[in-house]
Amino acid sequence: MRAPGAFSPDDVVVGQSARMRAIFDFVRVVSRSDSSVIITGESGTGKEVIANLLHHSSSRRHQPFVAVSCALFSENLIETELFGHERGAFTGAIKDKPGRFEMAQGGTLFLDDIDDVPLSMQVKLLRAIQNRTVERVGGTRSINVNVRVVTGSKRDLKKMVAEGNFREDLFYRLNVLPIVLPPLRERREDIPPLTDFFFRKFAALRGIDVPAVSPAVRYAFARYRWPGNVRELENACERIVQTCTCGTVRTACLAANILFGAGDPVPAPAAAELSVAAPSSISLDDRLREVESNLITWALKVSDGNKSRAAELLSIKRSTLGDRIVRCGLSEPSASEAEAADHEVRATA
Amino acid sequence: MVSRDQVENVLGRIRPMMQADGGDIELVDVQGNSAHVRLTGMCAGCPSAHMTLYAGVELALRDEIKDFEELVVV
Repeated sequence: MRAPGAFSPDDVVVGQSARMRAIFDFVRVVSRSDSSVIITGESGTGKEVIANLLHHSSSRRHQPFVAVSCALFSENLIETELFGHERGAFTGAIKDKPGRFEMAQGGTLFLDDIDDVPLSMQVKLLRAIQNRTVERVGGTRSINVNVRVVTGSKRDLKKMVAEGNFREDLFYRLNVLPIVLPPLRERREDIPPLTDFFFRKFAALRGIDVPAVSPAVRYAFARYRWPGNVRELENACERIVQTCTCGTVRTACLAANILFGAGDPVPAPAAAELSVAAPSSISLDDRLREVESNLITWALKVSDGNKSRAAELLSIKRSTLGDRIVRCGLSEPSASEAEAADHEVRATA
Repeated sequence: MVSRDQVENVLGRIRPMMQADGGDIELVDVQGNSAHVRLTGMCAGCPSAHMTLYAGVELALRDEIKDFEELVVV
């Protein structure tokens, strides 16, 4: 459980991607209701941030927000953790202890890692959510709880239901308002504003000026896969700010796994759309131009519109790049566009 | 025995990005199963750069080259 007040909606970076904007708009809408919300997303995509934002945008915001990871506890412990226990319920239970449901009374309970809750416990959870009452372990009294339940899952619960690892009835109880958080690699346009945000944040914490960031670092960040998502990006930025000795972030400051990950060849675009069963004609030239234009756009972007550097990144001559830009009908982004793209938007919800 | 080419292959994967920043990781020598490298450019004197590269590049070399033993930054 985090200390209440530690979260500020101002700390949420919305970014540029259409998907995230849609999610924030949705959060604003569902914050008015009391129905269950389930947030699905890979580790590090910001499930708890969204849950927090949801709580702080709702009418429950002056009541507690209780976050608990269901992966933290062993099967037996989850029950006492969530529902509490009475004195003497088991060895070591020397006094009454309220569970997380009771602690969240009037507010929001965020049950993260719901996919790690064992089947036996799922029944009890369903009962509690359905009846809005809990019974402490070793107790007989039913306690009414008024909490909004928000759950987080890194796995697709629907699939788990199909495989028999998650109760269908609980799934439908939880899955009223689903929010799916995309992995960072599927919203790469948000990497620059997030990077700037984290550099600013950690520089302020360390009391140093915000370091300048070299285009090659932006390039590496833009290409790396970020398996740990935003959490990994935050961690990388923190590390860099803490070890920076010269005021400029260059590629040598990056952890080698990011450098190597960014240096690996880009996997070929999925060929799934090329059907073998129902072949239709495609234009090879158009496809090639599409690939070319994407790569050039990207190189210009990460090199801040510097054509010489972009040509270097693409391993072609500066003059060749000029020709190809014309051929693809691309022009460099104007300074104001680049600025607008780097500008980050904060949540105002 | 580790060959120069094997080491260069691994270093080559991160080199373009370091060069784009005006730096380089230069392979000075391969002795037995160890490689000696030198950081050049803006980051040559930065202790943090030495630390991050040292740990990470050595790990990558060990991962990719069966007998690789040690990376020495000179």
